[in-house]
Amino acid sequence: MLRQLLSIYSPKFPATIVYMLQSCEYHPGPYFKWLWRTKDFSLVAHRRHLDKTAYAKMLLAGLSLGIAIEILIGLGLVVYGINAAQIWLSFYGGALVVIYPLVWSHLVVVPLELGRLYIVEPRNQRQIDAAKPLFADHPGARIAVAGSYGKTTMKEVLNTVLSQGLGVAATKANLNVLIEHAKFARSLNGQEDALIIEYGEGAPGDIAKFYDLTKPTYAVITGLAPAHLDRYKTMQAAGEDIFSLADLLHHKNVYVNQESQAAIKFIKPSDQTYGIFGAADWKAKNIRISLDGIAFDLVKGKKTINLKSRLLGRHQVGVLSVAAVIGLALGLSEEQIQAGIAHTAPFEHRMQPYNLGGAWIIDDTYNGNIEGIKAGTELLGELKTAKRKIYVTPGLVEQGSETARVHELMGEYIAKSNPDVVVLMNNSTTRYIQKGLTRSGYAKELVLENDPLKFYANLEQFVAKGDLVLMQNDWPDNYA
Amino acid sequence: MNKLKVGVVYGSRSTEHDISVVTAIASIIKPLELSGKYEVVPIYIDKQGFWYSDPKLKDIALFSSGEIDNWLKHNRPVQLGIGDGLSLIKPGIAKKPLKIDVVFPATHGTHGEDGELMGLLEMANVAYVGCNMPSSALAMDKALAKIVAQESGIASTKYVWFYARDFSDNAAKVLNSLAHLRYPLFVKPVHLGSSIAITRVKSEAELKNAIEVAAHYDNKVIVEEEVQNLIEATVPIMGNDKLMPALVEQPVTHGDDFFDFETKYMAGGKKGKGGKTNGSQGYSRLPADLPKDLMVKAEQTALGVYKALGCSGIARIDLLVDTKANQVYFNEVNPLPGSLYAHNWRAAGKSNVELVDELVKLALDKYAQQQKLSTVFATNYLKQY
Repeated sequence: MLRQLLSIYSPKFPATIVYMLQSCEYHPGPYFKWLWRTKDFSLVAHRRHLDKTAYAKMLLAGLSLGIAIEILIGLGLVVYGINAAQIWLSFYGGALVVIYPLVWSHLVVVPLELGRLYIVEPRNQRQIDAAKPLFADHPGARIAVAGSYGKTTMKEVLNTVLSQGLGVAATKANLNVLIEHAKFARSLNGQEDALIIEYGEGAPGDIAKFYDLTKPTYAVITGLAPAHLDRYKTMQAAGEDIFSLADLLHHKNVYVNQESQAAIKFIKPSDQTYGIFGAADWKAKNIRISLDGIAFDLVKGKKTINLKSRLLGRHQVGVLSVAAVIGLALGLSEEQIQAGIAHTAPFEHRMQPYNLGGAWIIDDTYNGNIEGIKAGTELLGELKTAKRKIYVTPGLVEQGSETARVHELMGEYIAKSNPDVVVLMNNSTTRYIQKGLTRSGYAKELVLENDPLKFYANLEQFVAKGDLVLMQNDWPDNYA
Repeated sequence: MNKLKVGVVYGSRSTEHDISVVTAIASIIKPLELSGKYEVVPIYIDKQGFWYSDPKLKDIALFSSGEIDNWLKHNRPVQLGIGDGLSLIKPGIAKKPLKIDVVFPATHGTHGEDGELMGLLEMANVAYVGCNMPSSALAMDKALAKIVAQESGIASTKYVWFYARDFSDNAAKVLNSLAHLRYPLFVKPVHLGSSIAITRVKSEAELKNAIEVAAHYDNKVIVEEEVQNLIEATVPIMGNDKLMPALVEQPVTHGDDFFDFETKYMAGGKKGKGGKTNGSQGYSRLPADLPKDLMVKAEQTALGVYKALGCSGIARIDLLVDTKANQVYFNEVNPLPGSLYAHNWRAAGKSNVELVDELVKLALDKYAQQQKLSTVFATNYLKQY
């Protein structure tokens, strides 16, 4: 208790505050939520530490200066009050000294918000406005990738496949909001055959803004699941926003993941679909799954394309199929499609297999949605060669009012894959996963781990040859 | 709920002191703590034989940096309480004993692996991991181990053993007793592990010097014939009554070299001859490159030795295989394998955490069995005095 209280007076406290802001991408909402629930600030920076960017350094310097000034004023008042025999002034000064962590941990947001309102946003808007004609006048196909999950994988697969015969440019990593789209437009040379633009929608109206800037000619909707419900509030609202993209494209050249149960009600007859069955009018047949990847045949009438990818999991059949179909629509040959698909491989922390001392680890720690959990657990259940199967997860974040339902469902999915050991990182969602496991009759070993970082860092101590470990999702400090 | 207190004992007055530190911290303390089931108490015996216990002793950096010498100067040893279990009594005014529930010995070589520590633990009546005092003492005496194994029908190479003093008193007589052995020969200190002071000699001219080297480290020396068409093999085994072997492993040697200390433990392996860069049992083939029948024979021989010597908990049996004669010879027993041979157990499907957890369970089982034995026998003997 005393240690917790004293942690706010630690010399590291200002750096901790800046770290928290940085981890929340300088958004006041999540920052305040984290700030108000934190009891011991000495434990906050557990997994990472402050990345000392110029911005962070400036903020830290300003914060430290503000704190120093407040302490000096407080001490000055204490001394003056004693000398002037005005105790109330000393009391006031003492109070100033005591409450500085409380004051500055809140006050620090003010310059950020003022900067955002009067400097950053107007500057961003100018860049966005300047980028609009760059997209509108671009001669290449513009493919928007939207959805609650699987966007980065979809984008990378499309990029890999289309690059076999086309000049392709794609937005980088998770840089998927308006200002990043504008920067992306500035990086183009205007000669590209295809642009792939990931949409990072997170609030109602986002899709319309993205569309207005990027003017896509194709759209892929990867699915709908509980995500960003802190701002969307409901799945219906999220679905309406995401599927407004199909409306804006008049349902032409729109491909929707039919495997996503929540998305089905938003699909219109003129939309193309993809999934385990294939994509559009191409059918996926003879699907083979292993730790080396997947292989299947894409068949349409008398045409058959044999495809082989190092991506893991049956759910990738749809992703690969739709990439092939879009590639064909953009003029790639069947051989180019084959070669492109053969080049696709797992991306870092997304169903990425690696060997650890004879054990196989599937690193799916960037998977943060229930559909991804379903796909991963299905793969775990499907792989029969392991001596022992171990499933590891902390659960999901940002599930809003869906938290209980989603995690109980997650427990059911895990139980269905029948792992020999389930390791749950102990947190607020654990009880719901346990409920789902129990409800589904899971009776094998359940381990509750209190220190996820220790577990991940020492994984080699927990596994042996013949083990297959699936690790899904990981919580950063601001959720732990 | 209070966790079981596991005291890990390591270091000690032994040529294998440093190896023991690594075994304890990397292969025992770490996985025990990661299991989340135990409160791990490090118990370090320094090179003078003083016992210390402090959480800081779990940090390998304290030893690898050499800072341990300074640390020892500023800290006082613990006292041991024996009787109803083993307790550590820390120095200071409030001498509240810390009772240890299970002891996990990680001491290699003399004053630890050779049965001395186990004798103390038996006296203290505390559960402990691994072989008991008699089997440890037998295993650590290469000559006695061969005698016991031979009595159980297990083959070993021709050998002669003698006391170091016999050699210093009358070297000619000892050399004469070795005359019937066929070169090349191996000269070994009887009680040391980790291949320390072992010499391979090809002629009588080299023999005397090799015996002097072995006698420098031990009061008992064994000289034995080399096996022709040799493949060395080693089999880690775990269990008390129901035994579980890990994989038959083949230490990899170069030409006429053998698996000596440098090959086993030092980074870079054997005298810089390339290969793997990691030390600590880096040179081995797992599983051994042996035909199936010899694999089975090696495993059966190892299990036979484990039983014959009365081993329990864990041990590693070293074998010599003549691949042309299809013959497996017993070489020696290591009652506390370096790093528990965790790499082999991992390859056999047992993780480090499972390994130490099961060893603690075996210790508790063995202890429970022992408690059922009566140590009281009522007589009228004293009444006659």
